[in-house]
Amino acid sequence: MKLSIGNFYVKDVVFGEADSFKDGILTINKQAAIDYLMGEDEHITSLDIVIARPGDDTRIVPVIETIEPRCRMDGRTLFPGVTGDLAPCGDGELKAFKGCCVTVVGGTWGSFGDGVIDMGGEGAKHTYWSKLINICMVGETDEEDERHEQQKTNHALRWGGHRFAEYLGKIAKDLEPEETEEYVFDPVLKRSPERAGLPNVAIVLQPQSQMETLGYNDLIYGWDMNRYIPSFVSPTEVLDGMMISGSFMPASSKWSTYEFQNFPTIKELFAEDGKSLNFVGVIMSNLNVALDQKERSAIMVRNIALNLGVDYCIVTEEGYGNPDADYVRCQVILEDAGIPVVGISNECTGRDGKSQPLVTLDEKLVALVSSGNVSELSELPACKTVIGCLEAMNRDGMSGSWGYDEILGKSARDDGSIIMEDNNWFCGDHISGFSVKTMVEM
Amino acid sequence: MKNVILYLNQFFGGVGGEDKADQEPYIVEGAIGPGLAFNAALKDAQITHTVVCGDNFMGSNTDEAVRRIMEMLKDKPMDFFIAGPAFQAGRYTVACGNICKAVMEQLGVPAVTSMNEETPGVNMFKKDMIIFKGGNSAAKMRKDVGTICKYVNKVLAGEPTGGADAEGYFPRGIRHELFLEDKRENTAAYRGVQMLIKKMNKLPYQTELVIPKKDVVPIAPAVKDLSKAVIAMLNTGGIVPVDNPDRIQSASATRWGRYDISKMDRLAKGEFKTIHAGFDPAAANEDPNVIMPIDAMRAYEKEGKIGRLHPWFYTTVGTGTTEAEASRMAKEIIPFLQEDHVDAVIMIST
Repeated sequence: MKLSIGNFYVKDVVFGEADSFKDGILTINKQAAIDYLMGEDEHITSLDIVIARPGDDTRIVPVIETIEPRCRMDGRTLFPGVTGDLAPCGDGELKAFKGCCVTVVGGTWGSFGDGVIDMGGEGAKHTYWSKLINICMVGETDEEDERHEQQKTNHALRWGGHRFAEYLGKIAKDLEPEETEEYVFDPVLKRSPERAGLPNVAIVLQPQSQMETLGYNDLIYGWDMNRYIPSFVSPTEVLDGMMISGSFMPASSKWSTYEFQNFPTIKELFAEDGKSLNFVGVIMSNLNVALDQKERSAIMVRNIALNLGVDYCIVTEEGYGNPDADYVRCQVILEDAGIPVVGISNECTGRDGKSQPLVTLDEKLVALVSSGNVSELSELPACKTVIGCLEAMNRDGMSGSWGYDEILGKSARDDGSIIMEDNNWFCGDHISGFSVKTMVEM
Repeated sequence: MKNVILYLNQFFGGVGGEDKADQEPYIVEGAIGPGLAFNAALKDAQITHTVVCGDNFMGSNTDEAVRRIMEMLKDKPMDFFIAGPAFQAGRYTVACGNICKAVMEQLGVPAVTSMNEETPGVNMFKKDMIIFKGGNSAAKMRKDVGTICKYVNKVLAGEPTGGADAEGYFPRGIRHELFLEDKRENTAAYRGVQMLIKKMNKLPYQTELVIPKKDVVPIAPAVKDLSKAVIAMLNTGGIVPVDNPDRIQSASATRWGRYDISKMDRLAKGEFKTIHAGFDPAAANEDPNVIMPIDAMRAYEKEGKIGRLHPWFYTTVGTGTTEAEASRMAKEIIPFLQEDHVDAVIMIST
C-alpha cells in the first residue's frame, strides 16, 4: 500500500466570505460551516466556531476530540464507516492541513473522557495541542438521555467534528501541496530480497474498548472495538482514517483521532523501515475488561506475530489502570514466545509518587518507555478566555477534576484558576508518542 | 542570604576520635570543619550554626539526643539542614539519618545527608529522605560537599531539580514525571523505537521503568511419606499467649515468638489470642485454633496421618511487615526447625 499525504502548512485561520487557503491563511465562512454541520445532524442544537492560537491566554474545556482537517482525493469519505460508506483505507492520496486541528468542545456539558487544553502560559506544555491552531467547534445537543450521565457517547458532537475535519480538508482539494509525505507498505510476503537480513518489527496497538455498552469505544471502520478480536492491519490504514477515537478513558491517556492520523510511533518505525528494521505492520488489539477477553486478545496477538515471522515488537496501550493488565500480559506472552518487546505507556504513581506505577508488574518487562504520570497535580491561574465551560470540571465527573475536596477545594475555582490531576489534560500523556515527558526517581 | 545549619559528629566537629564519641550534643555559631567547604560551595546561603554530637551518645541515647538538638534548633532561623557527609562511618550514617528525619518531621525544614552505599544508614533511611551517594572516606569531602550543595542551591533558588540519578542521591521509591526538552529525539515515539533498535542489536539501553525483582521462593517438593513426617506450624496471624510475652507488634512487625504446645491438644480460649491489627479479631480470640489449628493437627497425629507435631508453634504479624524483615525472621526461625528435623511446615497467613 502507498499512502501520499499532501501537506499544507497553516499559519493562521480566519473567518471570511468564502472558504479558501492562500499564503498559509485558511479562511472559513463560519456561517456556511455551521449551517452545514447543523444540517447534517438535527441533534446539534447550537454551534459556534472559535479559533484558539498557540500562545493565546485561553483555556479550552471540556475538550471531546481533536481531528486533523483532511480530504481524500478519490472522493472516498475520510473516516469510512463513520462519516460515510465503508471503503478500504491505507492507500491513495490525501491532502491535509498541518499545524491545526478541529477541536470538539462541549459548550456546557462535559463527561468522564473529556479534557482540558491551555493554549498559553505554564499549562501549554501539558498538551501537544497548544502548538496547533485549534479550530474549536463548540456545541450543544439534544442528547437528553445522557445529559447528566458521567459517561457520554457525545455522538452528535464527535461525528460533527469528523465531518468538519473533512469539510475543511476539502478546501485543499484542488490546491498544490507544499510538501508530500509518502508511506509505502509493501506486501509482507513480497518484499525485496535486500530486506531479508533486517529484523521484522511489528507494533501492537491496544486502543480503548473497555465499555461493554456500545457507542463509547474507539471504532475500526466504524466497528466497536469491544466486539472485536485482534487482526493484522497496515500502518497506512491507521494513518488514513481507519480508526476514530472514543469517548471513554481519562483524558490524558486517550488517543484522539488526530493521534491515530499522525501516530508518532508508527511514523518513527517508518523512518527506520528498510534501514535498521523491516516494518511488517500493525497488530491491532483492544483493551476489554473481562479476563478471558484479555487472554484471548493476547493469544491472538502472539500467534499473529509468530505466524507473520515478527522478530521484535512495540506494544502500546490507550489507557492505564485496568488496561495495564492487557499491556503487561501482551508483552509477557510475546517475550515468552521469543519476541522481545518495548512497551510505551504512562504510569500512575499517585500524587506522592509512591504507588506501584502499573496495576500489575512482571520482571519480563525490561524495556519500557514512560510518557507521564496521570496523578501529578496541576494548579494554574485563570486564563483571559475560556472556550467551553469551566464549571464542567466541577460538575460533570471529568476524570482528574472534582467538585469538592476538603483540602484542595473544587477544580474550577470562582476566580477562573484551576487545580486538577494530569488525568484531565486532553491526551496529555500522549502515549501515541508525542509525549516529551518521562518518569524519574525524584 | 539563606540560613543553613550543619550536623557533624565528634570527629568532624573537632572534639576528637573514638575516645570522645560520648560527647553530648552542643551547638556553635558559624561553620567549623566541613562547614568551610560548604560555605565555599553554597550560593546565597551560609552555615549559620553547627550542631556537634558524639556518635556513641546519639547511638545509645537517640531519643534524648534528638530531643536536645530539636530544642537547640527550634528558635534558629533555618532554610535547610544538612547532616554529614558521613562517608563510610556506620554509626555516623545512622545518626545523620535520625537527625534529618527529626528536623523534617518536627521542624518542617528540608534536610539532606550523604553517605556511602555500604553503610547501614542508607537502607534505614533512603525512603525517608534524600541521601546523596557519598564516597568511602573523608578524601571525598570536596566532591561529596559539591554534590550536596549543587542540589541545595537549586532548591533554595526555587529551581527544578533533576531527580535521583541526575542529582546523585539514592532512589526513594518516589516516581514523578519530568518534562524533557521539546524536540523529536525526546518524544516517547523516538525513545521507544530507538530503545527497540538497541534491544535488537544487543546494545545497552536504559528502561524508563525498572521493574523490581520479585524474590520468588520455589514450591517445595511434596513430602514423600507424611505418616513419618515431623510437621511444624507457623503463622502470620498474630496468635500469641494473652500477655504477648515477646511484644510482637500488631502491624509492621519486626519481632516473632515461639510457644510450647507439647502438652496441649488445642489452643485454649483465654490462654491465646491474636494481636494482629489487620482484621476483626473476634473469631480468632473466641477460638485461636481457627488461625493456628493445633486441634486438627493433633487429630491427624492420633490418626497416624502425620508422624508427629513439632512441639512449638511460631508467630509473627504479617500486616505491613516488609519482605526484608520477614526474610530475616525466617532465617532466625529455621535453625529451631532444623534442630528437631522438621520435614515440612504449614505457614498460615491471614
